Amino acid sequence: MASLQDIRRRIRSVKNTQQVTKAMKMISAVKLRKSQERLVALRPYASKMAEVVRRVVVRIKGDAEIQPGPAAQAFLSPREEKRIRLVFVASDKGLCGGFNANVAKAATAFVAHCPSEIVHLDVVGKRAVEWAKKQKLTPTKEYLNIPLPGLQRVVTEISASASAQYHDGEIDALYVVYNYFNSPVAQTPTVLRVFPMELDPSFEGKEAGQVSHLLEPDPNAVLETLLPRFVETELLRNLLESSASEHGARMAAMDKASNNAGEMIAKLTLTMNKIRQAGITNQIIEIVSGANA
Amino acid sequence: MAQTIKLEVVTPERPVFSAEVAEVQFPTASCGYYGILPGHTPVMTEVGDGLLYYIQEGQKHWLTVFGGFAEVGPERVMVLARESETMDMIDLERAESSRQRALKLLKEAQTEHDMAIAQAKLDASLIRLQAAGHPAGHGF
Repeated sequence: MASLQDIRRRIRSVKNTQQVTKAMKMISAVKLRKSQERLVALRPYASKMAEVVRRVVVRIKGDAEIQPGPAAQAFLSPREEKRIRLVFVASDKGLCGGFNANVAKAATAFVAHCPSEIVHLDVVGKRAVEWAKKQKLTPTKEYLNIPLPGLQRVVTEISASASAQYHDGEIDALYVVYNYFNSPVAQTPTVLRVFPMELDPSFEGKEAGQVSHLLEPDPNAVLETLLPRFVETELLRNLLESSASEHGARMAAMDKASNNAGEMIAKLTLTMNKIRQAGITNQIIEIVSGANA
Repeated sequence: MAQTIKLEVVTPERPVFSAEVAEVQFPTASCGYYGILPGHTPVMTEVGDGLLYYIQEGQKHWLTVFGGFAEVGPERVMVLARESETMDMIDLERAESSRQRALKLLKEAQTEHDMAIAQAKLDASLIRLQAAGHPAGHGF
């Protein structure tokens, strides 16, 4: 049986750990709120952007006179997917439950079943780099320790180069693997094809009665500028979802850890008291039997 | 025909502005300024950097816009801007110091690429200064 001293030492160490996990939980809660605020602020923009894209696409589809350029193809008639670009989003730090493991599992399954060749791999976060190493994939670019305001720059970079690659025929599609933010305690690993985009078929024809938009300076130029913008918005949304998910997952994990630590302290304290009691009883017996003798 | 048109300006960071206005003018990337009155033909175009103004209850108000996309309909104007600010969001001191920095960068620029970046920064700060220091009702 462990000595009194050992148990006291253990209780102290568990208490220290509990303090750390409690602090981490609170920090995560603050960070989660920040990420979530940005995500909520982005939503109206993203939904309006999707609406505009849909309108342009419907407009171009309905007009036989317009010759779709390469950018328009990304929306209208996807090419056969032979070469794709993949963006894998995980976190920089651990201690966030199944966050990284789950998304890595989804990415591994995607890579294993993907019939096309991955010609370009972007990884966001240290854990994503480690995943790529394990899979024996070489990331084309690594994004590490990106703070929340820096995400915009990352997505601008990725979307500009991805659009150019699509234009030059180097890639046929862009995929993102990330954690979708359901709620602070629930995340879903998600594989999303950013483009060629899938249009909701129910949308077509709905607007046929309306006056169609003029596209200035010309339809292809509009799509040419719209495509990178759209990709940018989608990517930014995905990165924010992932960031919010990460902090949510860490908060939940740290909450559990704090609770476990509390339970452990209670158990250890009980054992400690029992041992102390036993010691005292022993001493009394010794004294009593000594006096009797 | 409606007498007003709904103007909505949103950026990835926040919805900036949304209200019924009488008239809007915004800069485009390739076709100069577009002036929009209620009942305008539907148009979609790329937005440039510069000042957007709208007239509300006879008063002229300014917003800065930096890049993005605009959809114009007969009853509404939707501007999806990369960045946009109302006049009270602009920090005059920051804009002034960023103008000074941009001027310095422009002088020190070695390559054409550096020069373009510095010029873009200078333009952005000038637009902000112009918006903040603009006496209302004065044309530009």
